[in-house]
Amino acid sequence: MGKYEVTKSIDVRGEVCPVPDVEAKRAVKKMKPGEILEVWIDYPMSKERIPEGMKKMGHEVLEIEEVGNSEWKIYIKVK
Amino acid sequence: MALTGIIFGIFFGIVLQRGRICFNSAFRDVMLFKDNYLMKFAALVIALQTLTFLLFAQFGWITLNPKPLNWVGNIIGGYIFGLGMVLAGGCASGVTYRSGEGMTTAWFAAMFYGLTAYATKAGAFKPWLDWISKFNVKVEYSTPIYASNSGPTLPSVLHLNPWIVGILFSALLLWYTFGTKTTERHSKMGMKTAAIILAILAPIAWMSSAASGRNYGFGITGGWISLFKGFLAGASVNWEGWLIVGIIIGAMISAKISGEFKLRMPRNPFTYLQVMIGGILMGLGAVTAGGCNIGHFFTGVPQMAIGSILASIFFILGNWSMAWLLYGRD
Repeated sequence: MGKYEVTKSIDVRGEVCPVPDVEAKRAVKKMKPGEILEVWIDYPMSKERIPEGMKKMGHEVLEIEEVGNSEWKIYIKVK
Repeated sequence: MALTGIIFGIFFGIVLQRGRICFNSAFRDVMLFKDNYLMKFAALVIALQTLTFLLFAQFGWITLNPKPLNWVGNIIGGYIFGLGMVLAGGCASGVTYRSGEGMTTAWFAAMFYGLTAYATKAGAFKPWLDWISKFNVKVEYSTPIYASNSGPTLPSVLHLNPWIVGILFSALLLWYTFGTKTTERHSKMGMKTAAIILAILAPIAWMSSAASGRNYGFGITGGWISLFKGFLAGASVNWEGWLIVGIIIGAMISAKISGEFKLRMPRNPFTYLQVMIGGILMGLGAVTAGGCNIGHFFTGVPQMAIGSILASIFFILGNWSMAWLLYGRD
């Protein structure tokens, strides 16, 4: 199930700042264009910072989905 | 009177949580992610506070009290504090407000930060502080804007009217904020709103703090020391200590309302060790430097205190060094 054909998924819930951002960046660097990364986070600042950082790197942010209490999944399409 | 700190803390905590205000992120993101959003917030709030502080001091509502210049302490302590905040995953205000958001790593960072700050101020590491304090430099002021015997400032060094220097200093920061490109971010509370609220709140908080017998504005390190002193030695908690309690409550309320409160725990328990070491470095560094990112950077730089500017430069250098070591090499 799931909305997107996710190629890779990382769970960075509970990690300290800025580990979610750094892990997400490291993940997309290893991925091929067209692949989709799912980042599962619970840290509010990264929810705002990761999408902008990814856009700046040229990737497409498909959705920031709220999946629970202070938990989100960010879907990123690698360009 | 000390209890009024709790009210200012609640407001401060709400703004910190809503605005995601963390100076560890502000410093680090510029270097690591080329993201200047929070650094711009910092420049803006300092620019505005420079003016509100001068205004309140001109009217005689507060007396500015710049921290002493201490070349040795500001540089060494500042650098250690800068290293520590990256390991701890947040600056002094960052770990304090995130404690209220339910981030368990922030609890450990804050506890070890407070405990080590107390040890440096009055315990095992006190001889170190006594030695550092020998290098304190203060000057005599004749203007009623500054406390008569306090740290040197840009106006005192340049022998110019504080308003002239203050307006130029503020204009320079405003130029950086609005004249250069800002990284996009969609935050619950925009940086302009947060900066304006805090620039007005800060001098009012100073009045309240001064009325309790503590002539300084917002600070964090002294507050944690006071809480530990109260807890371990039965001393009465000061304005700054109550401020900490307020920040945690304010951040908790704000996080609860916006559905962002959650007990967050990292999967790798090693992270707890990392943040505790970070907290220890922060406590030692902040007391050695004579203040943390709030006492020095947020409250001291707007007073144009040389010691605060120097310490802040080394907070940033320490932050960049550790951020590069941990996250920057790939």
